[in-house]
Amino acid sequence: MTGAVIASPYPVAPGLPFTDDSRYRRRRARSQAMAGLIAFAAFLGVSILWIILGYVTVKGAPALNLAFFTERPLPYGEVGGGIAPAITGSLMLLVVAAVLGVPIGIGAAIFLVEYGKGSIIEGVRFASDLVAGLPSIVVGVFVWAALVRNVIGNFSGLAGAVALAIIMVPIIIRTVEAVLNLVPHTLREAGLALGVPKWRVILGVVLPTARAGIVTGVVLSVARAGGETAPLLLTTLGNQFFNWDLGKPTGAIPIQLYNYAVAPYPDWHEKAWGAALVLILVVGVLSILTRVATRGSVR
Amino acid sequence: MTTTDFLTRRRSMLVQATGLLAGAAGAAIVAACGGSEAPASKPAEPTKAAGAAPTTAAAKPAEPTKAPAAAEPTKAPAAAPASGGAGLITGPFDGEAKALTGAGATFPAVLYSKWFNDYNKVTQVQVNYQSIGSGGGIKAISDQTADFGATDSPMTDAQLKDAKGGDILHIPMALGAVVATYNIPGLEGTKLKLSGDVLAAIFLGTITKWNDPKIAADNAGVKLPAEDIVSVHRSDGSGTSFVFTDYLSAVSAEWKSKVGASTTVNWPGGIGGKGNEGVAGEVKQNPFSIGYVELIYAIQNKLGVASVKNKAGNWVEPTLEGVTAAAAAASGKVAPDLRVSIVEQEGEKTYPISTFTWILAYKTMTDAPKAIALTRLLWWATHDGQKLTGDLGYAPLPAEIVAKGEAMIKSIQAGGKPAFPGK
Repeated sequence: MTGAVIASPYPVAPGLPFTDDSRYRRRRARSQAMAGLIAFAAFLGVSILWIILGYVTVKGAPALNLAFFTERPLPYGEVGGGIAPAITGSLMLLVVAAVLGVPIGIGAAIFLVEYGKGSIIEGVRFASDLVAGLPSIVVGVFVWAALVRNVIGNFSGLAGAVALAIIMVPIIIRTVEAVLNLVPHTLREAGLALGVPKWRVILGVVLPTARAGIVTGVVLSVARAGGETAPLLLTTLGNQFFNWDLGKPTGAIPIQLYNYAVAPYPDWHEKAWGAALVLILVVGVLSILTRVATRGSVR
Repeated sequence: MTTTDFLTRRRSMLVQATGLLAGAAGAAIVAACGGSEAPASKPAEPTKAAGAAPTTAAAKPAEPTKAPAAAEPTKAPAAAPASGGAGLITGPFDGEAKALTGAGATFPAVLYSKWFNDYNKVTQVQVNYQSIGSGGGIKAISDQTADFGATDSPMTDAQLKDAKGGDILHIPMALGAVVATYNIPGLEGTKLKLSGDVLAAIFLGTITKWNDPKIAADNAGVKLPAEDIVSVHRSDGSGTSFVFTDYLSAVSAEWKSKVGASTTVNWPGGIGGKGNEGVAGEVKQNPFSIGYVELIYAIQNKLGVASVKNKAGNWVEPTLEGVTAAAAAASGKVAPDLRVSIVEQEGEKTYPISTFTWILAYKTMTDAPKAIALTRLLWWATHDGQKLTGDLGYAPLPAEIVAKGEAMIKSIQAGGKPAFPGK
């Protein structure tokens, strides 16, 4: 801080008509004003989270009851029923998407940090950023054209999981790459100096050191994918029945939320808020579970 | 971390590392297992859960389902269409597929969701129907991405030619009315009279105010507000749009030349809503708006429904009677493939914006279990299912159409022989 430099005149010559004095005050006032603004921005940023959480909870909580979690959606205009097939469907889609996307994402990040060189790194990074910037509906259309219409041949959970995996991969690459870069080079060098092969250094030193950060990246990507609606509409279509077959259309919370929200029935609107709350809870629970799972690891 | 640390912890780290990928997936699996416990307890719950619903929700249940019957001036024709096919399908059938996927029209979605919910109780077959619009339904059946499609606008010859799996059958499921529905604050209980010409002018944008002399001329004694008309139309490929624009084309030469009839209309103006429910929602939210939806969507939302002038010059409200009359008037002209428009038909009581709604199925199916399940579903829907139409604002099929539908269902083949098992 420059404060130490400015503060020094006072003990040396107190009471002298320093021109610096007013300048100092002005600077301090400006600094405080800016600090205040920044604090306010931080407050706003955090309060948005709480406003959304609070609003969704207030609107969605009345919809939550046992039936909401255990029953199928009812026909149009009938009051009651739940979103159980959508919850199980979303979980299935996310697990499969994670199985598909996490190894690719982490692998690509390891390549970028440990093996990639110059222009290749730039190329991979650029491509990954482009994919991250794609509107999710474009990913949906792509998977629809490539898998739903051709390879698989029908709307299916697998196609939806692939679409979600495509959305997850660039997020995982970016976060994991950043975390791996934070692992001190001295650790790698220490391992290599002991004659440990590079791949073992990566598996045994780099990844465990970065474990918490990697898991955070994975959870972030799962949370993002869990809320996607557009790519699922075109790939998994939706299903009001329970389905565990990846080859068949599958329900998902965002699709059910959407169906409930656009319908003109007040009871369904309430259920849409309930589904939004459940979606937040599922992501929250996932996040907490992974935090617990990585507790005690090197951060 | 020092080198000594590394040496002592190396082994455990390797173990951790190998468990890393599995760890992330494992956490998700834990969550999945936690979540799947709920469905496991499902069978015991339904009755209890219904009672556990919050009182605010519980107070409403009767309303939406009852509303159609109460608001419907003429109740469903007491006599269901005479045909001997009802009651054939009474339970599961060995060798049929346990799940079917259908997609398409939102127009009959209220009926279909009720049908397939009930059908599941009869046969345990899970019919997953997603209302993505008639355009989407035609696309899905053409691409064979769904087991059946649904539409309220018959496929064009070009569309039929593009279908991947051969000949497509149009099997009529029910009749319905497209209604002009409006939301005018202050005129909630008033039935407006809107002629085809006026509707065309409103959606063309040549009539822009509710108190336009042309509207006032037909609605003597109604205090029309001097407000701008907000027109709401479908944003997705829609059979409802086709029926409505088909009607406007039939009554207005200007509409026919400038816009025409289509599932995806080049609208001169107005705002879009996705699906019948989307249009109903937009009309409900926008004061002084007008849109067009299947009758049940207007009834369930307590929106105003306009009377329309039919070909005979009478002002008719959309009733099941009027729709049935339209089908009867058109019955002589129905093509063998049952692709037919029944807008603007003759008859004193005929409601002019009426339509069949069809399920689209392939005549030759490759998957025999699915073919059995689908033919049984279609049989049940065109017979037993017809009893449910009236309460939901749709009209049952006339007997001769049911008979033609029967022939179509029986003509569906799988593996070289008829798929319908006859029970």
